[in-house]
Amino acid sequence: MAKLKLALYWSAACGGCDVAVLDINEKILDVANLADIVFWPIALDFKYHHVEAMPDKSIDVCLFNGAVRSSEQEHIAKMLRAKSKVMVSFGSCACFGGIPALANFATRAEIMERAYIEAPSNENPNKTLPQIKVSVPEGELTLPELYENVLTLAQVVPVEYLVPGCPPTVDLILKVVNALATNSLPPVGATIASDKTLCDECERKKENKKITKIYRTHEIIPDPERCLLEQGLLCMGPATRGGCGALCVKVNIPCRGCFGPPAGVYDQGAKLISSIASIYQTNGKQDIEKMVNELVDPAGTFYRFGMSISMLKRKLPQKR
Amino acid sequence: MLSKMLEQFGIDGKRLRLEWVSASEGDRFASIVNDVTEQVRALGPLDWNQGGKHG
Amino acid sequence: MKKISIDPITRLEGHGKIEIFLDDAGDVANAYLQIPELRGFEKFCEGRPIEEVPRIVPRICGV
Repeated sequence: MAKLKLALYWSAACGGCDVAVLDINEKILDVANLADIVFWPIALDFKYHHVEAMPDKSIDVCLFNGAVRSSEQEHIAKMLRAKSKVMVSFGSCACFGGIPALANFATRAEIMERAYIEAPSNENPNKTLPQIKVSVPEGELTLPELYENVLTLAQVVPVEYLVPGCPPTVDLILKVVNALATNSLPPVGATIASDKTLCDECERKKENKKITKIYRTHEIIPDPERCLLEQGLLCMGPATRGGCGALCVKVNIPCRGCFGPPAGVYDQGAKLISSIASIYQTNGKQDIEKMVNELVDPAGTFYRFGMSISMLKRKLPQKR
Repeated sequence: MLSKMLEQFGIDGKRLRLEWVSASEGDRFASIVNDVTEQVRALGPLDWNQGGKHG
Repeated sequence: MKKISIDPITRLEGHGKIEIFLDDAGDVANAYLQIPELRGFEKFCEGRPIEEVPRIVPRICGV
């Protein structure tokens, strides 16, 4: 069998997904046997013009991680889409927006202001901001346009598969590699993880879902055997897709929701509110106020990884 | 909780109301709905850009 | 003036491009490093609970 042509790209990302691929350790040799990697900025020195020169659909699989929030990122996403037979939305940023999508709580102007002018470590007395086009004595320099909002990959190009996770676990990556090697990918459109919630694969004892207090993670040391939600910690398990092996929960940290909503749930945050509300025991208005006060930052907690696919997608602009 | 969260999204809390109305309280239901309708109408349309690239 | 673009720079974390301008003699007149990305961590960490921040900022660099 001819070697597959594989491309990996990172958009508004951190490199964690690329490192996760390398975390398969010696199995990377299996990948090297299976595929020729034709583009992978973190590891190989191919340039954009190399990709531009490739014929359409000549790349067999493209693993695209990172959210899309600039004109360059959209351009490369479209370029790779044209050159690839199969496009995989790899990692939580590409699938749901991820941590970079928390930027949707601010406007582009606020972000630029903070990063380039306000931040205490800046030395920028002229308040210079990056521009899309700038003339220098030798010629012209360009930068991409930053978009107002952070988008997922699927919101700019059609995508065949989604592999969630921040980053996707090694087991999941091996699953994808094996599926490619044996030509046994699931039906197009699949999210390659579990279809059930995290609770399904969590081995903790689940008894009585009734809480009277929400604890922040530094306030208690949880019992490693009991359900974390029952102990009052905000575990996103009930509204998070499983398939990660409950890695966080196994080390006594509540799930943070990085695998996104489970099958059949449209808005992860709404589902989480509903889950928490249904187990919190209140007896009147005072209890409700207490509960709301204990829940610091609900939006950032419940939409931690999924702002771009939420119903509202961003904080609405404030009318003056 | 939803109220607190919506505020973080920049949505006025007055757009959301929670009431318990029984099936036999027809008049009360009608009056609440009219009330909320006027309240939301006074706030004007939501400036929702649908989360596209340009906001 | 001739311009050589190195885009993207590779084998490190992050996005960058280098534009090198050559004069008529073929010597480097000037070179510019540009960073064509911004995610805004400095802004969106504001308002998050303090115990969340050490769990958000590792996503600045996953390497």
